[in-house]
Amino acid sequence: MTTLAHDPSGGPFAIEAQALNIYYGSFRAVKDINLRFSTHKITALIGPSGCGKSTVLRAFNRMNDLIPISRTEGTVLFHGKNIYDADVDPVQVRRRVGMVFQKPNPFPKTIYENVAWGARINGFKGNKADMDALVEESLRDAAVWDDVKDKLFQSGLSLSGGQQQRLCIARAIATRPELILMDEPASALDPISTLRIEELIQDLKKNYTILIVTHNMQQAARASDYTAFFNMDTDRAGYLVEYGQTDQVFTSPKSEMTEQYITGRFG
Amino acid sequence: MSDRPLPTETPPEPAAEQGDRFAALYPSEEGIRAQVARRQRVATGWRVAFLAATSLAVVILSTLLLSIINQSFGLVAEQTDIPEAQLVADHYKSQVLGATNVLLATEDDADIAAGIAADANGIGLLGYAVYADNGAALQALSVDGVAPTAETVATGTYPLTRPLLLYSSAAILSDKPQVAAFLLYTLQHAEEVMSELGAFPADATALAEQAAALATTLGLDPAAPIDPAAYEGDIVISGSSTLNPVTREIARRFRGEGFQGAIKISSVGTVAGFEAFCAESADLVDASRPITTVETAACAANNLTPLSVQVGLDPVVVAVNSANTFAADVNGEQLAALFTTATNWSEVVAGWPADAIHRFLPTTDSGTMDVFVNTVFGGRTLADLPYDALVQIFKANVTAGRCRAIEAEQRFYADSFVCDTEEAFTARCQSDAAPTGCVLEPRDKGSLVALIQADVVNPVVQQAWFLAESLFRREEIMAEARQAYPTADVHFRRWLTLDFLTRPQSSQPELAGVRTAILGSLWVVAIGILVGFPVGVGAAIYLEEYADKRRRFNRFIQTNINNLAGVPSIIYGLLGLTVFVRVLEPITSGAVFGVGDATTANGRTILSAGLTLALLILPVIIISAQEAIKAVPSSLREASLGLGATKWQTIWNHVVPNAIGGIMTGVILAMSRIIGETAPLVVVGASTFITTDPTGPFSKFTTLPTQIFQWTSRPQQTFLLIAGAAIIVLLVLLFILNAFAIYLRNRYARRIG
Repeated sequence: MTTLAHDPSGGPFAIEAQALNIYYGSFRAVKDINLRFSTHKITALIGPSGCGKSTVLRAFNRMNDLIPISRTEGTVLFHGKNIYDADVDPVQVRRRVGMVFQKPNPFPKTIYENVAWGARINGFKGNKADMDALVEESLRDAAVWDDVKDKLFQSGLSLSGGQQQRLCIARAIATRPELILMDEPASALDPISTLRIEELIQDLKKNYTILIVTHNMQQAARASDYTAFFNMDTDRAGYLVEYGQTDQVFTSPKSEMTEQYITGRFG
Repeated sequence: MSDRPLPTETPPEPAAEQGDRFAALYPSEEGIRAQVARRQRVATGWRVAFLAATSLAVVILSTLLLSIINQSFGLVAEQTDIPEAQLVADHYKSQVLGATNVLLATEDDADIAAGIAADANGIGLLGYAVYADNGAALQALSVDGVAPTAETVATGTYPLTRPLLLYSSAAILSDKPQVAAFLLYTLQHAEEVMSELGAFPADATALAEQAAALATTLGLDPAAPIDPAAYEGDIVISGSSTLNPVTREIARRFRGEGFQGAIKISSVGTVAGFEAFCAESADLVDASRPITTVETAACAANNLTPLSVQVGLDPVVVAVNSANTFAADVNGEQLAALFTTATNWSEVVAGWPADAIHRFLPTTDSGTMDVFVNTVFGGRTLADLPYDALVQIFKANVTAGRCRAIEAEQRFYADSFVCDTEEAFTARCQSDAAPTGCVLEPRDKGSLVALIQADVVNPVVQQAWFLAESLFRREEIMAEARQAYPTADVHFRRWLTLDFLTRPQSSQPELAGVRTAILGSLWVVAIGILVGFPVGVGAAIYLEEYADKRRRFNRFIQTNINNLAGVPSIIYGLLGLTVFVRVLEPITSGAVFGVGDATTANGRTILSAGLTLALLILPVIIISAQEAIKAVPSSLREASLGLGATKWQTIWNHVVPNAIGGIMTGVILAMSRIIGETAPLVVVGASTFITTDPTGPFSKFTTLPTQIFQWTSRPQQTFLLIAGAAIIVLLVLLFILNAFAIYLRNRYARRIG
């Protein structure tokens, strides 16, 4: 597991974790992760609760830095540079690695401002018309334009849960990241909304590399190109069990544990 | 990896008897009902207890508010050395008499009538009776479109109408039955006589009632007419020339019916009439206006309590020569000009001839003049008078020593002394050495008015009654006050007036105000908030967003802040005294900046106080801001950071705007707290007595609560009353500031929402 065994695709990689260990205080939450993700593909991270898949995901845009007791060891290569090097500003990383969270969290501002704010702080140079266009296109790309086009200047919080989550996706893609991290983006939503988010993710694949954490086996099977299965070891640290093309992982898993998990025998 | 046991067995069925065992431990079906009812009774008991607590709080608060209101309004018996109205009236009288071309100033209306009749440019003031006698040669101007006729006089629409009164005293009436008989005879015959003379008698019913009341007091039969033949002795009558013809005619009839004694009637004017009466050289006064408090006081010195009856009404006629074709109707302003400022007719109304106005006037002592001045210049106060006149009033009414002392404190004029010699002025204020005891700025009008109020008018509230008694026992209080303070003016007084808000502190409660204190409070609170708010919110942001709570040092700071919030405020006062007043004195006194003066050199300034209060509210602001920042969901921070925002952008754009409601709530609480603070300010050096407004952060100061505290510790009752009024001011100020802060908060909250 310390080698780069999980390398299902080859081809250009968007981001790569090497010997990644993450600690919360003295507790090791994730151990020895080696993973790399192909560009313009969707990779699902699955596994039972507490196996550290969210922690791994948040390692890719240094979100774990926000937890004061957390500590990250190992390397995450992004464009050949370890993002955990001392000279790397996490803001630089997050600028290029967008994120969508489990619970929809639009800003308590207008829908327009929700999308425009990220562009504005990141030095978007366009004029008012460009900004309007960017907002519209982002909302269209996030498949929420038709729902909100008549109320752009109402609060983002006035939308339904599914709409809010798509607004958050629009907000993320408005800054044109290279990578989008999604932490169970549909877990708080009803089945219809979930389906729409999944379709949306498929569309987004054309332009973005997407990493998605999910608890939902069907979702992983339906929506992803690759699947990484994590499990919790006896020391309660999460580790990578299996990583491969989604079809292969779901139809002929190499590990017995993977099979048991995806068939619902534990987890 | 296969060391984990896989769940293969189905869980065991729950044992049925176990459920029964626990069910048996609950009460039976009936028992359940009783048990629930019991719990409900307990709940009801608590509800009643909470309701009682709330009601108690409401009752206490309302009682508090009512008692404050009760104190702030009510009847007062106010004694003045010279009423302000009289000073003002005297000024205007001298203006009228000092106008150009006063060809005649006499007490005799007949002379005035003759003067006007002989002068085509003549104008004058006289009683109606004499005017009526000279009807052909004179014409009366109507005032504000109303001519003096029987009807307009009776209804009071003619503005220059005055009552005609006869004054005596109970003692004289009982000592000299002939005087009592004459007075009663007058009342019985006033209507008939006055109608014959063309004067205006009082309402017949009113005359009859007064006669009956007087007869009853004297022990006579109200129904029986007076028989003059039954009386003897002398009667001395003095006073108004207006009433003089009526009195003479009544006296003629009185004698005609057989009165044996002598009746001496002199027409000297109302003022002189009262003087004679109070000096016990007259039995009856013909008065064309009510007696003043000053005259009452003079009478009281001789143990005379005046008693009056009204016999008629008299319009003061503004008469011009019958040859005058242009003047017919004038308004108040034109009347003022006609008798004071104007020299030519054309100055009063454009289009009137440019001839000189020739004035024929009654003297200062006449009731006619009083009525004219009170009507035309009524409602004016000292503040309406010119500065020079005020200086003269002051000089004329205080001792020379007092005048010099006041002038030494601050001059009336920049270039000369009024109360002292030229040499003294030169010696004190124009020597090459720095002027000591000579403030270079002359006084302003406001301070001069205040000076006259305090030194000349000198109002003293002898006794005050609370609102409740004033409302329910009004008549009793009036009688009581007349008995106890015969010379005082008893009237309803609001202690909380506009004047109270705009006047500075004074050693006389009747003249004291809260302007200085309000300004001081606003300054101090403003500095406290302006310093406390940014520092407090900054600290809260640091502690919540930046500081690593695992570090012992940061936890230590947090604990200290929490503890500081509970420290008694006087401790902060001591801290402020040590740090701001003493150590940082060069800064807080303004010496470093070259401002401030000798009086603030000890650092006891608004700045010191404001900074002390800023320290006081710092823990409150920090803690409430921390709570507000904590309440901002971390998902918002993650969303912002996830977009590539910096920490500062996240804080400024998301954390602070979402926390601003809570932060402002803390600020409002802090403001409410410091606006009522007294103890630390007293320690830091709020002046308890100060009459000058603060001019900036380096001024001496006082605040509302300090002022209230000081007033309540005075022994005089009146200070307690104005303290009550000041408490209302403090409450209202607090409400206003809070309302403003809440408005700001809501506006922000809406913008974010």
